[in-house]
Amino acid sequence: MKAAVFYGPKQPLVIEDVEIDKPLDREVLVRTVASGVCHSDLHFVDGYYTFPAPAVLGHEAAGIVEEVGKAVDYVKPGDHVIACLSVFCGYCDDCMSGHPNRCTNRAATQRRKGDKPRLSLKGQPMRQFADLSTYAEKMLVHENALVKIGNDMPLDRAALIGCGVTTGVGAVLNTARIEPGSTVAVFGCGGVGLAAIQGARIAGARMIIAVDQFESKLALARRLGATHTVDASHTDAVKAIRELASPGQPSEPVVAGLGVSGGVDYSFEAVGLKKLAEECFDCIKPGGTATIIGMIPVGQKVELDGPKFLTERKIQGTNMGSNRFRIDMQRYIDFYQQGRLNLDDMITRRGKLPDVNEAFRAMKAGEVARTVLMFD
Amino acid sequence: MKAAVFHGPKQPLSIEEIQIDEPREHEVLVRTVATGVCHSDLHFVEGLWPHPTPAVLGHEAAGIVERVGSEVTYLKAGDHVISCPSVFCGRCKQCNSGHPYRCTNRPAVRRAKGDKPRLSKNGVMIRQFSDLSTYAEMMLLHENALVKIRDDMPLDRAALIGCGVTTGVGAALNTARVEPGSTVAVFGAGGIGLSAIQGARIAGAAMIIAVDMFEHKLATAKRFGATHTVDASSTDPVEAIQKLTDGGVDYSFEAIGLKKAAEQCFDALAPGGTATVIGMIPVGQKVEIDGPKLLTERRIQGSLMGSNRFRIDMPRYIDFYLQGRLNLDDMISRRGRLEDVNEAFRAMKAGEVSRTVLMFD
Repeated sequence: MKAAVFYGPKQPLVIEDVEIDKPLDREVLVRTVASGVCHSDLHFVDGYYTFPAPAVLGHEAAGIVEEVGKAVDYVKPGDHVIACLSVFCGYCDDCMSGHPNRCTNRAATQRRKGDKPRLSLKGQPMRQFADLSTYAEKMLVHENALVKIGNDMPLDRAALIGCGVTTGVGAVLNTARIEPGSTVAVFGCGGVGLAAIQGARIAGARMIIAVDQFESKLALARRLGATHTVDASHTDAVKAIRELASPGQPSEPVVAGLGVSGGVDYSFEAVGLKKLAEECFDCIKPGGTATIIGMIPVGQKVELDGPKFLTERKIQGTNMGSNRFRIDMQRYIDFYQQGRLNLDDMITRRGKLPDVNEAFRAMKAGEVARTVLMFD
Repeated sequence: MKAAVFHGPKQPLSIEEIQIDEPREHEVLVRTVATGVCHSDLHFVEGLWPHPTPAVLGHEAAGIVERVGSEVTYLKAGDHVISCPSVFCGRCKQCNSGHPYRCTNRPAVRRAKGDKPRLSKNGVMIRQFSDLSTYAEMMLLHENALVKIRDDMPLDRAALIGCGVTTGVGAALNTARVEPGSTVAVFGAGGIGLSAIQGARIAGAAMIIAVDMFEHKLATAKRFGATHTVDASSTDPVEAIQKLTDGGVDYSFEAIGLKKAAEQCFDALAPGGTATVIGMIPVGQKVEIDGPKLLTERRIQGSLMGSNRFRIDMPRYIDFYLQGRLNLDDMISRRGRLEDVNEAFRAMKAGEVSRTVLMFD
């Protein structure tokens, strides 16, 4: 089958013929129908995060089951599925306490060392990325990497739910658990940020402030639910957010020297920049919560003003929208079909597998929210 | 009346005769019976946090009501009370949403600018610290700075509940909401840290790891409920905690006010864990957390005065004490008089005491 192969950082992916094995026991062979091109793949291509090469990247896809291993009873050939990188063992402490997205026993869903590899290139074993590798015509995955969905859901839009939408909407609904009537700021209006904005709208936020450097992305943010926008290319975002969320708020420090008290209830960082994570913490009000969705490069420290902790500000990470994806993804599909989650406008371009490098370029240039690669 | 007056950072407090006004409308005049000497006063004396002068410090006290203003209905003369820095207006958004300790309308509980000051010396205004000023024989405060308590509660132990105990126990019970069976690490085994340890024990934590640089404080921590101790003077506490817990704790608490300890608190967490910073980190210092660690849903949050609703929480803590579940007796290392306040600061800095309580007649 054709796949886009990663040979190392700062090199374009190369379309090659890759061998894929047959499904064993609990494995499922899925024919890829659509795969989104997500920013986190770019982190590896750019070398901010490391991954052993050669490998097939890609982790946001939907497709149709071709063949199942003998121990699989959750899906059968012909089922429509979304793949999710939060593959779960189902019995570790995190899985048992409602956090399968933090499964600590991933080895249980992989082939053992020394076994025949799922993917190989010219006879040499290849690494699967996120146990999925969706930039390929087929995927061989553990059944716990899949959720079955209705046949009436278009698979290109379903693909987006596989990572970006789940990450952004879930950060709002599951990680931060924002309340109706609250005020929200979202830094970054790419696929994940737009999903967070939509999550905030679904949860009933009264004010949703989108922050980005590109006017075109802010316009899309407004269409997807942002009530206010801040163009950070020429404005101090923290100051602008404080003025919007707490107009005329007097500076009333709890203790001398603590600074102003205005800001939003919830903020989200959807880019992966140290500076934005810090601004996220600075723009919340006392008792507010900043949630960092973006992947901050390895080795970088987020610097937080110590005294701000005295006013119970909180900053937290989120992993894949704190998903229980077999529960959450069906809900997101329902939201889409009810017209409450706009996925149509999140797909900026469609392409074919060889367009993957161009999709990375367009993403870096801020030209697209999402490119989706389509397979026949 | 006698009070310990703060004239500026890095100077000892001086015991002086000052004037205190009569209670107006919602104000209450309280005779101070006992006041704890708390680390946050020391932050101001050392100049790590600024405060205008002259002022009377002190913010952890219990006493007996002497006189009340014309509008006060909550209290009457003779009532036993604990004072709390979390004075609340009762009508701002924070007060209305269950967070009175984050009240944003503190001017509502003070005298207006230009009014006769509550405290003065020879006609010159003396600032009230935290709207309380407990290092004095009497306190004049808004009624919403007070909780009425049962008469059978000893007032020296009640004083500790006024700040340190509420801050530490409340951080575990209210801010972090530690669950039964969870694993906990507490950095710093002074008054606040020992309270956090006791809070974790009351909440049913399965493992409570105390971290300190002084062996005798770790021994005390064990008596208060720590199941394990780590001597950070000779061991890397993060490594030690990860080893004890097989990968990190569910909850960690910083009870000192050190940037480095706050960072270690975050590093000692298991994925999905929560670090709660109780200590006052000096103005201008940044806590640096490893960006990629956020991907595993670690969280770091501040805590203010144990997220208290003090009129609800403090009577509970008193019940815990009287039931033998909250040890306050052993938290008082020394008792002294008002004149001993500077010596109490020295002993605290030297790590000799968890708490000195100043007693008045």
